[in-house]
Amino acid sequence: MSLSGFAIADTCFLIDWAYWRYRDALFKLFKTVFVPEAVLREVKSEQTIEWVATALARGYLALYTETRDEIDFAIRIVERSRLVPGLRGVDLPEALCLAVGRLRGYTVLTENRGALMAAELLEELTGVVVWRALEVIREALKRGAIAGDPEQVFKLYEEETKHRFPHSELEAILNELRGKA
Amino acid sequence: MEEEAREIRRREANWSFIESQPPRLRAALKYYIETGDLYVASRIAGLTIEEFNELRKKAGIPNVS
Repeated sequence: MSLSGFAIADTCFLIDWAYWRYRDALFKLFKTVFVPEAVLREVKSEQTIEWVATALARGYLALYTETRDEIDFAIRIVERSRLVPGLRGVDLPEALCLAVGRLRGYTVLTENRGALMAAELLEELTGVVVWRALEVIREALKRGAIAGDPEQVFKLYEEETKHRFPHSELEAILNELRGKA
Repeated sequence: MEEEAREIRRREANWSFIESQPPRLRAALKYYIETGDLYVASRIAGLTIEEFNELRKKAGIPNVS
């Protein structure tokens, strides 16, 4: 978890996360998960909107309104991601989450591969922590926010969201969790 | 990793469903299969990200990440 206890989530993360049974475990890992205002424009289904609105009302989620400085930094990340060979381009919505991660110390929740690569490779993003559902579930299992056989828990997520975890990364995490048991 | 993910998306996609879609949606689904980028694919489709994500599921394309 970030030192602040805060996270910021992009749409790609939330729309899958909202569809599975242990979705509220997220709120046991963070004090507040911020969502940029643009995220609300991207969700349409009753299930997701109800979950988001309820969590906003309870204070588990909060709207994040970006500042001019954060937008400027995010635009620089977009540009840099397209200049570095081998790095997949990042677009503004996920770049904004990365900028907030860097400037505010929030954990960034995303499924965007470009955002993950940018955090690993761009010097401007040194220290930014990026988690996908894979890492969020790992932490929830470690901290007891989700109980159950880890392999079954990850499988449930895949079934309920039509998500697929990379085989080698999932195996590494399952081994890590088994080692701790 | 990128290539492995692309192969999984290509292999598991319901191609007859994809080919039956209107041109804009078909192009967006194919773009998604190649890149895994939901945001840009949704813009190509003219849908919100969540609407496109539902189309992705109907097309049998896994989100690999």
